[in-house]
Amino acid sequence: MAVSIFTSPPLIITLSLALRATLLIYGAWQDAVSPVKYTDIDYLVFTDASRYVSRGLSPYSRDTYRYTPLLAWLLVPTTWNVAGISLFSFGKVLFAAADVLAGWLVAKCLRTHYGMDTAKAMKFACVWLLNPMVANISTRGSSEGLLGVLVAGVLWAALSKRVVVAGVLLGLGVHFKIYPFVYGVSILWWLDAQRTSSTPSKDEDGKERTILQSLLGFITPSRILLTLTALTTFLALNIAMYILYGTPFLQHTYLHHLTRIDHRHNFSPYSTLLYLASVDGGHGYGYKFESLAFIPQILLSVVVIPAVLAKKDLAGAMLAQTFAFVGFNKVCTSQYFLWYLIFLPFYLPNSSLLRKPRLGLSVAALWVIAQALWLHQGFRLEFLGISSFVPGLFLAGLFFYAVNCWILGILVEDVGGLSAQKQVAK
Amino acid sequence: MRRRTTFIQPPNAPFSPDQAVLTPDALTITNLDAVREERLTVSYDELPDDVRAVLDQYQAVHIRWATEDPYTAAAPFASRISPGLHVFVSGKKRTEGEDALCPLLKRVFWEEVECLSTEKSFIEPHVLSKRFSSTADSYYWSLLPFSSPLVRYIEDNICAKASDKASDNCLKLARSLYADSIDISYDSISRALTVSAVSSRTHGGQGWTERITKPDGNSNDGREGIDQVEVGLLTTEKAADQEDIKMGGLLGVVGRDEKMKPTMFSFPSRHHALPDDATYLTSFPRPRGLHPTMTLSLSPSALKVPPAPADATCALHTYLTLPSSIFGDKHQLSTTDPLFLQSHNLAALRAVFGETDLEAPDWAVDRWGSNWLLELATPENPEEVTGEWNVTIPLHLRYLPPSESGYRTIQVPWPVVFWACTAEGGTKMGINPFDRVNLGWEGLFGPRTMFYQVHPGDDDDAHLVEKITVPVLQLDEEQGLFRSKTIELGTVAVIVLGFVWVLWKLGWVVSLSSSSGKKSKQGKTE
Repeated sequence: MAVSIFTSPPLIITLSLALRATLLIYGAWQDAVSPVKYTDIDYLVFTDASRYVSRGLSPYSRDTYRYTPLLAWLLVPTTWNVAGISLFSFGKVLFAAADVLAGWLVAKCLRTHYGMDTAKAMKFACVWLLNPMVANISTRGSSEGLLGVLVAGVLWAALSKRVVVAGVLLGLGVHFKIYPFVYGVSILWWLDAQRTSSTPSKDEDGKERTILQSLLGFITPSRILLTLTALTTFLALNIAMYILYGTPFLQHTYLHHLTRIDHRHNFSPYSTLLYLASVDGGHGYGYKFESLAFIPQILLSVVVIPAVLAKKDLAGAMLAQTFAFVGFNKVCTSQYFLWYLIFLPFYLPNSSLLRKPRLGLSVAALWVIAQALWLHQGFRLEFLGISSFVPGLFLAGLFFYAVNCWILGILVEDVGGLSAQKQVAK
Repeated sequence: MRRRTTFIQPPNAPFSPDQAVLTPDALTITNLDAVREERLTVSYDELPDDVRAVLDQYQAVHIRWATEDPYTAAAPFASRISPGLHVFVSGKKRTEGEDALCPLLKRVFWEEVECLSTEKSFIEPHVLSKRFSSTADSYYWSLLPFSSPLVRYIEDNICAKASDKASDNCLKLARSLYADSIDISYDSISRALTVSAVSSRTHGGQGWTERITKPDGNSNDGREGIDQVEVGLLTTEKAADQEDIKMGGLLGVVGRDEKMKPTMFSFPSRHHALPDDATYLTSFPRPRGLHPTMTLSLSPSALKVPPAPADATCALHTYLTLPSSIFGDKHQLSTTDPLFLQSHNLAALRAVFGETDLEAPDWAVDRWGSNWLLELATPENPEEVTGEWNVTIPLHLRYLPPSESGYRTIQVPWPVVFWACTAEGGTKMGINPFDRVNLGWEGLFGPRTMFYQVHPGDDDDAHLVEKITVPVLQLDEEQGLFRSKTIELGTVAVIVLGFVWVLWKLGWVVSLSSSSGKKSKQGKTE
């Protein structure tokens, strides 16, 4: 076997940084010479909000700013000029640095908690670190990189039993983007797993345990600590932001997600139904199935997947949770795919996708085909003005959902079956 | 009630005295090549009750209408507005009962005017500096292809109630509203309503032939009848001052004067016409998708800085009137990025009012739409430009409700394009007997600004309203495969199947681990 470049973490980190630096410079160049900008529109929203904040105004003065004020504060340096040089790109540098840090945390976890040697850990961490899509999204100025480091941090802190750190990061993550709350459930379930479930339903004397005993057994100091730190962080941040910015904060960061109608076409299987339902406030059409859409999504990502998988493999369970959350969501856009990409380095090494290359290739091919079919229909609608809602986008959305369910089934089997094998091997 | 009829002949148009013969009873016009303005001033007491009830609610009401067909607009009637019905109201007084304006607009103009109420349908043109501008408090626009419903309303509700002789005159006057543009203005200080209609051509295309009779006197209860009929036959001449319009011709009051009196006068004018070859065309190049680009193609002559006074600064502008189904991204258009602006030949977004939500579908938008004032870039050396100069304005479509065909058509009026020149000094525009204000766009500039109008080109039967086909969800509830029920049940079935599949896999994991758990336990006990 040839000497692998992966044996040198500093080299990989340098390469990751170089990739992002190159993209940053390229982006600055494209922005300077072309009317078609490299910089993401969201970045302009963030930086506008920072400008408001720097003048002591509310970030919500900028319409479509739907994020925590923390983000606007964090990017205040983008409004500065230091020695005549604008720090406008500060945020992109920050996001890119955050996603490299996320990748580094992933590698660290793989080494320390998944028993991989450095070379293997770095190789799989590169799925994130050297992923052009990740580097592209961060350097264009999307804040997903920041979320990546929070989620990777939660996982790292949990695996290394730094319960308080995990709780604080989790509370912060949920404050930032709501969806990481699902990880709270699996971490709670996984934490102290050995104490409550090594041999389920019977105690040391072989007697059946009562429900009360099981419940009492479930409540452990570290579980209480995690819950309290996460909740305290989340509530403290929200109360602070509410005191500072009042109702607009609640409205734009959280309530907006409840009242938005999401009628525009997107990858979600519900997309066509939601268009139909939002017309005329849903009067005249149907049974309002769409209002029940949260049931399968929440059941899978918050209840069943954590219960079945978290104790077997925390990262694998978190991957399956995210995959279910995104796939069953009422809205789905391509930035959501980044949410589960961070967990792939943990799952891939022992997955059937790599063990059975034919299966792996089929999964990749079907996912890409489903995306391509949808994007083709989307292009016909968006750019050619052809009415491709039905059957085109409707069927493409359902097909993409079906492919996602199939892949999720494989994930579940792999994460669940693998540790079962491990158990047998013991 | 006073009537003023003005015929403006083009320069060098033929005129012989027998084309306008004044007798004690009437002025007879024969085959006169002219633009005609009919202006009627009606005092408050003479108005119908339902109109008074609405006017009582406001300090001022201004209604403007322009046809969708191209027309020539020569001095002193050079100003233009986008085609359709424009309603400006100011100073709403507190009144009990419901808002009566929208029902009146529907009754008088067109049943299809989608006006709900001033609160719901009107937009507020917020102007940063109120000192320099005169814009209305609220504004409404609607497509209105023809003025015929207004003519019919007057015939049925006003002329029908008049005496025989007055009725005849009334019908004639009503028909003068088959015009290029109509202005209706009322303010509660003068307590008078003026209606003026400008027509650049007659229906037969022959020139005007008409007998304008003297006032029929206050024969009835004073609520009807005309007190004075004033007629002018004028032509424009080159004025000494560039901001002035000079006019000469004949004036007379029918029934009072024995003959038409020659006259010559000049006045500073707010609106000026550019040469006939200064034109623009509006189009939306294909494919349009959900993001059509409004393209304004300007002729080389439209790019030349107008002959304003030397101390004036001039800039080319366009003022867009966009129904709610189409909108601009104000963050995108208000950018100062020179590359973006250059690539579109834009200079800056100067003002925007109304519905600019980037995400809302059309059914979630109540108000009629939005207005955009954009300053346009012009070439550095206009002399060197020989072809068209294209200005592009990126716009976006809102989602519209489903339809059977999968498409819906929206209609977008052409914007107006003009040069605005701000001059120093004390030019008073108000003494112009043909002055025109409350057009929406002119109030966004200082009171001393002069406007030079670029003409909509009338190449290949241009129509001043563009149609855009918007793709929507196709639903054929009668016989199509894709009805709302198919979509609902199809979605639910697929979601449930996928959900059950994943649950089944999870169940397999549970059964696997419990059986392996048992195995390992058996192993221990053995």
